[in-house]
Amino acid sequence: MATAATKSYGPRRVLDGVDLDIAAGDRLGILGASGAGKSTLLRLLLAVEAPDRGEIRFRDRPVRPARPGALAWFRRAVQLVPQDPYGSLSPRMTVAEIIAEPLECLRVPGDHRERVAELLAAVDLDPALARRRPAALSGGQRQRVAVARALAPRPEVLVADEPVSALDATVRVMVLDLLLEASERSGAALVMVSHDVAAVRRVCDRVAVLDRGRIAESGTVVDVFGAPGTNATRDLLAAVPRLPVGAA
Amino acid sequence: MTATLAAARRWAALTATIGGLAVLVAALPWLRDDDPARSVLRARLGEREPDPAALAAVRSELDLPAGPVQGAAQWLSGAVTGDLGRSWVDGSSVAETVAAAAGVSALLGGAAAVVAVAVGLLLGAPAAWTAASGRRPRAGFTAAALTALPEFVLAAVLITVVAVNWRLAPTAGWFGPSYLVLPALALGIPTGGLLARLLITAVEATAAEPWVHTWRAAGSGRGELAAALLRRAVTVVVTQVAVLFVGLLGGAVAVEQLFAIPGLGRIALHASLAQDLPLVQGCVLLLVIVGVAVGGLGIAVHRLLLGPAGAAASLIPAVPAHRRRGRRVAPIAAATLLLGVVVAGLLRDADRVRLGARLTGPSWAHPLGADPVGRDVLAQLGHGAVLTVGTAAAVTVVSLLAGLTIGLRGGAARAGAADILNALPPVFVGLVVAAILSPGLAAAALAAALVAWVPLGVHTRGLAEEVRASGYYRAAELCGAGPGRLLRRHLLPAVAGPVVLHALARVPATALTIAGLGFLGLGAGHDSPEWGAQLATAVAYLERAPLAVLGPVAGLGLLGVLAAAAPTASPAGSRSGTAPDTGRGETAPPAAPLTKAMT
Amino acid sequence: MKTVIIFAVLRLSRLSVRFADRVVVDDVDLAVGPGEAVGLIGGSGSGKTLTALGVLGLLPATAHATGSITVDGAELCGAPERRLRRVRGSRVGFIGQDALAALNPLATVGRHLRIPLRGHRGLSRREAAQECAHLLDRVGLPAETATAYPAQLSGGQRQRVAIALAAAGRPGLLIADEPTSALDPLTQAGVLGLLRDLPPADGGARPALLLISHDLAVVSQVCTRLAVMHAGRLVEEGDTAEVIAAPRHPYTRALVASARALAA
Repeated sequence: MATAATKSYGPRRVLDGVDLDIAAGDRLGILGASGAGKSTLLRLLLAVEAPDRGEIRFRDRPVRPARPGALAWFRRAVQLVPQDPYGSLSPRMTVAEIIAEPLECLRVPGDHRERVAELLAAVDLDPALARRRPAALSGGQRQRVAVARALAPRPEVLVADEPVSALDATVRVMVLDLLLEASERSGAALVMVSHDVAAVRRVCDRVAVLDRGRIAESGTVVDVFGAPGTNATRDLLAAVPRLPVGAA
Repeated sequence: MTATLAAARRWAALTATIGGLAVLVAALPWLRDDDPARSVLRARLGEREPDPAALAAVRSELDLPAGPVQGAAQWLSGAVTGDLGRSWVDGSSVAETVAAAAGVSALLGGAAAVVAVAVGLLLGAPAAWTAASGRRPRAGFTAAALTALPEFVLAAVLITVVAVNWRLAPTAGWFGPSYLVLPALALGIPTGGLLARLLITAVEATAAEPWVHTWRAAGSGRGELAAALLRRAVTVVVTQVAVLFVGLLGGAVAVEQLFAIPGLGRIALHASLAQDLPLVQGCVLLLVIVGVAVGGLGIAVHRLLLGPAGAAASLIPAVPAHRRRGRRVAPIAAATLLLGVVVAGLLRDADRVRLGARLTGPSWAHPLGADPVGRDVLAQLGHGAVLTVGTAAAVTVVSLLAGLTIGLRGGAARAGAADILNALPPVFVGLVVAAILSPGLAAAALAAALVAWVPLGVHTRGLAEEVRASGYYRAAELCGAGPGRLLRRHLLPAVAGPVVLHALARVPATALTIAGLGFLGLGAGHDSPEWGAQLATAVAYLERAPLAVLGPVAGLGLLGVLAAAAPTASPAGSRSGTAPDTGRGETAPPAAPLTKAMT
Repeated sequence: MKTVIIFAVLRLSRLSVRFADRVVVDDVDLAVGPGEAVGLIGGSGSGKTLTALGVLGLLPATAHATGSITVDGAELCGAPERRLRRVRGSRVGFIGQDALAALNPLATVGRHLRIPLRGHRGLSRREAAQECAHLLDRVGLPAETATAYPAQLSGGQRQRVAIALAAAGRPGLLIADEPTSALDPLTQAGVLGLLRDLPPADGGARPALLLISHDLAVVSQVCTRLAVMHAGRLVEEGDTAEVIAAPRHPYTRALVASARALAA
């Protein structure tokens, strides 16, 4: 999907020749500490910004950022699950309106109301919530709404940006499992950008470790986490808090 | 867009705005739909149809250029070398007149600024002391009360009470230090009240920042924390304070006129009324330069106070959403009283002239007395309200539409222009408009509209920027929403509510602007019941009938209470800091029922 | 199993916190012994943060606390502001969530540290400067940090400054409220390690720690004892290893299950 993408801000090169390939049904984790270039890569993947060098291709077509409303073919196929469930839902719209937003914007044919009901069921939300506004929802419920919105146009790729870091510990597993299940059921590829080793391990098959703008290591989750080949990966793994030994 | 690029654009916009203003000022004499030579003769002799020989003589005497382009170029090239031309009325050098007047105005402005800072700190500092113990600072009632009387009304009151009744100070003139006291107070006190309100609001917002928790948890002493809060609050408001001081220049026009002080404002006013355009040009040029300098000084002080703490420190937290109810009592009472007086006045005959009753005091027949031609003051007050507030409401509607349209277009370039215009006192605009058109209610309304859209535009721009930066707006973009949908579904719903409320809240302030222009003779004519004009008439008879000023003063004072009740006067759009979700947190100003009754 | 602590640094008994229309902390009993590290764990809205603010007397003005809070045996619930001010920083140190905003942007690190050093310990300007360098060294920062402004520091450095500030008055108890939730995992591990192994002051004992978090894995890194809050009530309390091995309350079970699901 991305080829030799490079991005600099001023004198600082934030991304340096990153190559990524995402196949249908892939579940790829992009792992890195803060400052590794994760958010820049995310903006490139979503065609919000253009790389200085290299390119983003999708279905063998180059993708270039354009004004709002353009790139409909790409937007329909690639959808985002954002990080912050509090800021990413408009406080002035109902849950049903929020979920239907991509359907309306992208002029997806079919009965939107029916699709919204279907999606609410798919993310395990009470249909009665459809008429509520986000303020009435808990953090976990909001993130489910965000997942439903991303699934609405039946995308081929779901991009998740730290999807659980703002949530309570007990809710995290539920939302991660929901993402996994959604990707399995719809056949959509999943790209999860995260600093959370545990979240990547739970959901992804493959992982790419990002370190100072470069891909330090990539491979299957089992291989990379089982036998880390770089210090960047080892540090990230060592930082995962462990439950006390006696508890296992 | 990087920060440096944004800054460069801002500076470009700033330069363009200043340049535009300079050209506008330069072309002033030719913007009138009239031959300048004819204007000169009319200014000097009041002749309607001068003969061609006289016109030619004037042209050669004053070296008048033929057209606006040539004229503007000639004036600009002269201005660079310090030659501002000659007065059309008496032929004296504009540069010399303006320089002499500027010294007087600088003294008055400096004294007023000292008064303002003293009042502001005296009323604002206790808020920090209260906030330092975790309580919410008091609402700043005194500060609000001080801002209720605009400078020209306060000046009239001070002359009436202190100078005429108590004979403690001279009524007018410019002959020594004792002549400075009342004008400086009249000019400084309302600004001091505004300053205190800004400071209190900033302290309140600062006290809600998380570091205050850290300091208190570390056992910080009350005085120590109060000082830190005050320092932070001052840093936040200092740029807005600069704008307030520029506003002081505007207030100086009325105060200098009332106290007969030969300052820049008074000269500009007389030049405008006499349509002596070179003198108007000179005064406006100087006032704009001073305004820009003061604004720049504010930004410099802000940077200095921030020091190496850097840009991150200018982060302004969301203003606490909940406002006390208690503050609503005064504005509601003011609105009710105002409405009562207006309705009572409207039922009476305003135009009947009873020469026998000239300047009589209050009686059963005339509850508020009679004016200099024997008309009932109460009736005048009611009819004047329709003129003053009704015009203000119309102006508000126009400026609301303009503000929303311009604000939603956004962009850093327009932001710079709006910041400059925002600092421009309405009186200057009124002076220029009246000099170009002729004085009248329409000219006053135009001047008010030219100024009134700016804060609304700035507010709109601030809210729109927040929405554009919000997660849900970006999510909508990624959902494929086009510009139309983004505007309809996301920008307008978030922006319209608060900005409409803001516009409503500004109706009293706009009414005061119109009345202020009327008071100076730049608005409605002297026989009009429009409140400012009415006050000006009454002030002329101050020594004989001090009570006659009471009616318009009370009406304008009540308007002032309403204007002061508007969520903190924000000369620099300070309220753009509210979070988008709490956009509804704005208090509904009680001006709404009033405007409904008026229109 | 409730642990019985006889000499407590902090003892809450029947502590409740109410707002006008609802009870947010409901009848909580908890004790922390000298030098002990206790984790207070719960989801958002469970009342754990308000419990901590109650100890410091920093509850919002609209909240009302009843019951008893004693620190070193002195009753703080309902105590006047003047007395609370003497306790804050000298008996109890507080470490908040790291946001840039937790430190005054216009004050240097040294200025922050002087609050307790001069206010509580009455050090002279020179002594304070020396002690400042010493404190920064204890939290693993160079002495030059004293002249830096918060905006010039990284998130992890700021949180180390916050720990130094909390420890500066040599309190017997540190309260840390979600001290690592804003940090990335590498930095988080460093800050947690520091909280666990903070070098004691010269001749002093190690302060007790009350660590508040929603993350069981984080708390279990540092604390030997756990107290679980749910919907304003303290639902479970005990030895960390025991609670994780055999959780009894349904909420604790959910916590342990999700921590296990994400654990190594």
